[in-house]
Amino acid sequence: MPRDSTQSPQTRLTPANSGFSGTTGNAWYGLFPLVAGLAMATALQFILPGAAGPYYSRIVIDAGIAIVLAVSLNIVNGMTGQFSIGHAGFMALGGYTAGILTHYGSMLLWGSAGRHGGFLGSGELLFAASCLAGGLISAVAGYVVGLPSLRLRGDYLAIVTLGFGEIMRVILQQTGRVIDDAEKFRSGGLSQLIPPPVGGAVGFDGLPKYTSLFWVYSLVTVTVVVAYRLKVSSPGRAMISVREDEIAAQAMGVDIARQKVMAFVIAAFFAGAAGGMFAHESGVIISPRDAGFQRSFDYVIMTVLGGRGSISGVLIAAAVLTALPEMLRDFEQYRLIVYALLLIMMMLVRPQGLFGIHEIWDLFAPFLRRQQKAAP
Amino acid sequence: MTADSIHSTTQPDSGIVQLAPLLRVSDIGISFGGLKAVQQFSLSLPQSVLYGLIGPNGAGKTTVFNLLTGVYQPDSGKMNLSDISLIGRKPHQITAAGIARTFQNIRLFPSLSVLDNVRLAGQLRSSEGLLHTLLRTSLHHQSEAELKQRAMELLEIFELQHRAHELAGNLSYGHQRRLEIVRALATSPRVLLLDEPAAGLNPQEKRSLAQSIREIRDRFQVAILLIEHDMGLVMDICERIVVLDHGVTICEGTPDVIQNDPQVIAAYLGAAPDSGQNIF
Repeated sequence: MPRDSTQSPQTRLTPANSGFSGTTGNAWYGLFPLVAGLAMATALQFILPGAAGPYYSRIVIDAGIAIVLAVSLNIVNGMTGQFSIGHAGFMALGGYTAGILTHYGSMLLWGSAGRHGGFLGSGELLFAASCLAGGLISAVAGYVVGLPSLRLRGDYLAIVTLGFGEIMRVILQQTGRVIDDAEKFRSGGLSQLIPPPVGGAVGFDGLPKYTSLFWVYSLVTVTVVVAYRLKVSSPGRAMISVREDEIAAQAMGVDIARQKVMAFVIAAFFAGAAGGMFAHESGVIISPRDAGFQRSFDYVIMTVLGGRGSISGVLIAAAVLTALPEMLRDFEQYRLIVYALLLIMMMLVRPQGLFGIHEIWDLFAPFLRRQQKAAP
Repeated sequence: MTADSIHSTTQPDSGIVQLAPLLRVSDIGISFGGLKAVQQFSLSLPQSVLYGLIGPNGAGKTTVFNLLTGVYQPDSGKMNLSDISLIGRKPHQITAAGIARTFQNIRLFPSLSVLDNVRLAGQLRSSEGLLHTLLRTSLHHQSEAELKQRAMELLEIFELQHRAHELAGNLSYGHQRRLEIVRALATSPRVLLLDEPAAGLNPQEKRSLAQSIREIRDRFQVAILLIEHDMGLVMDICERIVVLDHGVTICEGTPDVIQNDPQVIAAYLGAAPDSGQNIF
């Protein structure tokens, strides 16, 4: 192989191959999983509540939110090999941000904080935009929390992220009362926003309940597609190389600082968006406690159980660990004991998690390869 | 200045004979506390040469590699690759500038496949951004296809193509050593630093390694600097050799010169410091 064929930057930027203007075949192929996911979310939205009733729908929504949080946390903990136990902090930050926008946004736009419009109506669009904004604010926080990861490793980084979650919790406790009167809010000045009127220790009550199967599973789709596409491509391989061996990764030209911060930013974005969904779920009042380490730990357990870097493993673990406590309501008080035992068992028997670094479809890979060999 | 732009400005013009050395290191040194690990190390590496760096254990050979690749920053001295200074650059920037290395104790990514190990190194020269990856644009497909093709070509040259989908950690020791060299070459280096590539290989594997190192030099037009303890191998393939002892360069020259140098003999045989002079 002659040296000159090493791609020089000049040859790659001709207009013909500059990205978006690709053949439609490729573009459709890229969109296919998203479209399929949206179709699934729509189907769930219209079929599940009728078929299974509100109780099971609620569990499926909870599972969806947990999947987004666990799969996004896995980008930091599993793929990049950092150890974050402050994921709930990002979730709460996104949730409160989205809550402020929908609650007070609705008051300004429509004169009340209640639900506005039907499925995909103006209220739901405001809600979707608010979740996006919550994700972006969380991503900024993720950048700030990601910076120490450049200097700290292992336990020390874990303590910093734990600290972030606890700081979020304490700050949220110091906030003001929710303003429920739209007229009062409209006539009041900006001064009523300090401290933010998000309910203090009681929690942010009175948010319009927009979260539905459609929105949650649309977010699940985007999260899983992003995580998977990262995992099987150059940027994801760079993250994985940081997990495997930082010194070797640097020697191969990987900017490890960039990879770590990027992992934190991406994970925090999805956590924030999921927080927005959580805050607007019916039957839920988002409160400072949701930023605390107990909730963070739930997601860590899901990633450990699923396997570092295994998207399908974490997805299954998140769904099971959300549904199981509901099924075992009578044994609620033993939940944490069971979790602890489960973790200890995992560490002893299968420290790499149920799936390790593999995906569930890897189980079929030898079979597929054999078929491919047989074909020609 | 980004890593990419460093590289693009220093693309070699293949038609022009370069008289200036490719890598020029003058008087670099580093101490760890009171220990002067490397002192006043100088080296001039022209294009496509094969030099050796030898010395007793603890002489500072690997430290020199770590200085050249930015793992350590030298306390003093200058390092230039072509016309850009390497002082103060991070390891990944130095790799982007064109210096690649292998490690004395193998440092592959064990739970990635052989192919992924090589692809990872190759992506340094690929311009795919995060957005293209997430949207699966045609640029993404194109650059991934190129990466894979180049990686497979390299693996084929080193006869590892049949192992491409195995985990790197499951390869035999000899194959792992070879994969480390492939991975370093995948970054398209102009200078290749090999840290004890023959360690732990049997005589037959060593002979084949000597052959491949020469081939790498000719085929990829890289300058190779080799740390090795196997004197037969070093004397056989290296054009010039630098000898380090206690962090100081005690001799530099062709293999003949090195073999007959009294200081080198003293350093290796552990003779009294003045016995070297007594020969004459």
